[in-house]
Amino acid sequence: MKNIYTLVLALFIPALSQAATAASQLEGSFRLGPAIILISILVLFVMVGILFRAKDTTDFYAAGRGISKVGSGMAIASNWMSAASFLGMAALMYGSGYHGLAYVVGWTGGYVLLLILMAGQIRKYGKYTAADFIGDRYYSQTLRAVGAIIAILISISYCVGQFGGIGLMFKWVLGIEYSWAVIIGGSVVLTYTLISGMLGVTKNMQIQYVIIIISFIIPLFILSYKFDYFWILPQIGYGSVVSDAVAGIPLNDANQLINSLGHDFAVVPIPEYAMPWDPATGKTFFQWIAIAFSLMIGTAGLPHVIQRFYVVPKARDARWSVVWGLFFICILYWSAPAYAAFGKILSANPEVGQLSKDAIVVYTAQLGSVHPLIVGFLAAGGVSAAFSTVSGLLVAGASAFSHDLYVKVINPQASPERQLLFARFGTVLMAIIVSVIALFKLALIGQLVAVAFSLAGCTIFPLFLLGIWWSGSNKQGAIAGLIAGGLVTLVALTYFIAGKVGAVLPAHEFVSYWLGAWYFAWFGAPLAILVHIVVSLFTKETPIEIRKFLIEKVHS
Amino acid sequence: MDDSSNGYHISFFKPTTPQALANRNMVLWLISVWFIAIFGFQFLLWVIEKPTPQPAYLTFQNVWENVEKDSPTSKELQEFGQSTLSVLGKIAIAEDEKMALDNAFSWSVYQLTTDSLRADFLLKVQEFEKLKADIESISDPGYIAEKQVLITEMASILGLSVMDVRAKIAPLELSSKAMKSMTGDTKIALPGIMEKYLVHNQSFLTDWKFLGFPFHYFYTAVFLLILFIGLCLLYCVKTDLLNAKLNIVD
Repeated sequence: MKNIYTLVLALFIPALSQAATAASQLEGSFRLGPAIILISILVLFVMVGILFRAKDTTDFYAAGRGISKVGSGMAIASNWMSAASFLGMAALMYGSGYHGLAYVVGWTGGYVLLLILMAGQIRKYGKYTAADFIGDRYYSQTLRAVGAIIAILISISYCVGQFGGIGLMFKWVLGIEYSWAVIIGGSVVLTYTLISGMLGVTKNMQIQYVIIIISFIIPLFILSYKFDYFWILPQIGYGSVVSDAVAGIPLNDANQLINSLGHDFAVVPIPEYAMPWDPATGKTFFQWIAIAFSLMIGTAGLPHVIQRFYVVPKARDARWSVVWGLFFICILYWSAPAYAAFGKILSANPEVGQLSKDAIVVYTAQLGSVHPLIVGFLAAGGVSAAFSTVSGLLVAGASAFSHDLYVKVINPQASPERQLLFARFGTVLMAIIVSVIALFKLALIGQLVAVAFSLAGCTIFPLFLLGIWWSGSNKQGAIAGLIAGGLVTLVALTYFIAGKVGAVLPAHEFVSYWLGAWYFAWFGAPLAILVHIVVSLFTKETPIEIRKFLIEKVHS
Repeated sequence: MDDSSNGYHISFFKPTTPQALANRNMVLWLISVWFIAIFGFQFLLWVIEKPTPQPAYLTFQNVWENVEKDSPTSKELQEFGQSTLSVLGKIAIAEDEKMALDNAFSWSVYQLTTDSLRADFLLKVQEFEKLKADIESISDPGYIAEKQVLITEMASILGLSVMDVRAKIAPLELSSKAMKSMTGDTKIALPGIMEKYLVHNQSFLTDWKFLGFPFHYFYTAVFLLILFIGLCLLYCVKTDLLNAKLNIVD
């Protein structure tokens, strides 16, 4: 045993020390130390996946409903803290200042809605998936199938941003092309999701949460300490960094503080970084409000988030798991703006050049001369964040594909083994589609993910909200509401894609502004709700057994 | 359609049980707080904001008329160059706007150089540009030395201290190709560019400091998240108490 230990040390220690000196450039080369950290973490995930692998369909979909509320809270947080949170949020604030805070507020404030309007009731309803709920509540196999397809589309849209983040981090660590990085990273996350299912995923999510949060916070302490800010609580200490950016930092005040490229910690005044909807960012008050609103509505309509409430034993646990989950999430969300603030000053010198915004978290740590191995750990944390979310999304998408489409609509007699086989086939198919889309790099990670939120806000959210709280909501209303929300989605995404390929559609500027791809739910969700209500009021009432179930099971 | 005739009726706004009534009131109260705290504050911020120029913008406005007419004094040219540098020092500038700013800045430096020294200065800038393109690392000693020479020289030309951040970045923003004249396009675009980057929406909420933050930033980035957790906590505690009071078991 001692010999093995010695051998491992002999192999690893030179490698790590070599990496510490080689990882001095911002990008480009292969980084051995960070690569070893990344691979070790991924191996850990796969091992946990194998140890806690799914034994049957109940395990695969809902982790045997044996997860505690704190554990579920950690899993919610890990599931939530994706590449968009870990990498994308700082990128948005780095690029557009105060506007980026709309994402911070949107991605946290939605949990209040989710809790007080849905969490407990969803658990009491007792279904496996979002499509299950839609199919049963609206007594329609067609709606179940549509719900499943929407869930798959949301998962794909959400995953694209995550695969982009995985690609960026693999590229940074391995020094390979972005395309290869996406393919390799995608293959690894696919492998482990296939092996483990949700039980492994849930266990892994708890481990991933710890890795994500530690890797994210340690460099912040170091940066705050190095640049002479209040380092004991960097989530508050960075406030002075923001104020310094607004006022500018004269060279005299920099006191020999330099970044890893030798530039002083000095900057001309950049108030546009912190001032609301600053003209320099090109963002407006309306966009801030629309993004925050759309993200919050979307949060309460995301299938993979809703699905997490099925894995707790009781409705009370579902409620408390939201509180824990939100608290765990906020630890990261309080920290992310600090990276943007430090990054803004550390990269201020024109010699630094244009940095990839989505990797600014890692670049900031590098520019701040944080030890390369800690930066490597940070990059591995970014990969973990993307992995934890992607695995949950793939399971949600696979559930929709296998359980809601195949078993409930196409082949109700399917054996559990065949059902599991289809779930795995769905997972592979989704991973391939997502990888291909991710290669195009359509937008920033946070923006790509925001599309999924608006899609969920326009489609799933109204169905759940009205389905739970109003017995008058019926099948016809649901169909009409879905069509209205779907049309808004279609228009917004058509204009977005047209813009990307250089085509100009009628009233292009007007539609692109008011129905932006990241925030079209501000209009689509209320419209879908309104149409749903009006049509329900004028059509055949909800069957008695559904209303009875709502009263006796969901609201009792 | 009336779905209440048979008694199996659920409507959030028409609760029929004490639990539903209490829950509705609590949810409405929490959502009101949530809504006002998020959107009310941003709306207030929007209503009270005033376009506030940075000092560099006021400087630019003072000298622009004469610069545009090609009749600035040396002092005005120096202030013009300094104000363009105040924008060039910001990171996120659109490429076309940066080109206009580089043109305006380089032209002002060229104009400030004594006639007899202009050719030498131009040559020096060209050599620095070549060196910058050739080096493999910005820590190249030759590059650093040349840059330092230019920093000193340009600080003197622009009337800046060598310890001014703008002096440090000045050599990096010089463009030998854009020095000799300020183009018509630049003259048209420049006032808009300067206003865009140097005028900001400010109010007492953005100027007031709290725990080191501009207050509005603290409120949105830190406080709102605390509030969200508080609202969730409150809901769970009150629901548990309500369920206990009414003997409801999940």
